[in-house]
Amino acid sequence: MGENCCGLTVGQMVPDFKLETFDPSKGDFGEVSLETLKANKKWTILFFYPADFTFV
Amino acid sequence: MGAEVITISTDTKFVHLAWQREEKTLKDVKYPMGSDPTGKVSRMFGVYDEETGLALRGTFIISPEGRILNSEVNYYNMGRNIDELMRKFKTNLYLATHTEEGCPSKWKEEGDKTLKPSAKMVGKVYEAYEVKK
Repeated sequence: MGENCCGLTVGQMVPDFKLETFDPSKGDFGEVSLETLKANKKWTILFFYPADFTFV
Repeated sequence: MGAEVITISTDTKFVHLAWQREEKTLKDVKYPMGSDPTGKVSRMFGVYDEETGLALRGTFIISPEGRILNSEVNYYNMGRNIDELMRKFKTNLYLATHTEEGCPSKWKEEGDKTLKPSAKMVGKVYEAYEVKK
């Protein structure tokens, strides 16, 4: 995946990535893509957590 | 709020669906719940725990250009302060259009005191703080 594959730090550019999603607002599965978010000039906040069915 | 929030764990989208439908406190959740079962994206951000296969509690703010501007990672047993996340996000928005300025830790909204780093300020940051808004 190139030089920014792991352990990105503040100030670095994030390589494009995609994730499958469940989107509660649509009640359906979907996909998010950083490439699309950037194309739409969106700020993005990623919120990682260990596991569903625990606190966040 | 002006940002796309994406929550991410290594659970599948099917488990996300089940959890969101089951857990009453999640009934108003609107943001997409991302699934990273291989840990690829979690590793990219350095939050993947190889021992457990789980992602640590990491929060990252990414600019519209794709640059990471803030990062916070907590161990399993500590939750995050959403007020602090919102402060960081609002500060980023302000700084995106006020590129010559810096926002000190207590900055909350437009109109609050900012700093303009310069040779004159070296050793005299206290003077900037004395001039209240």
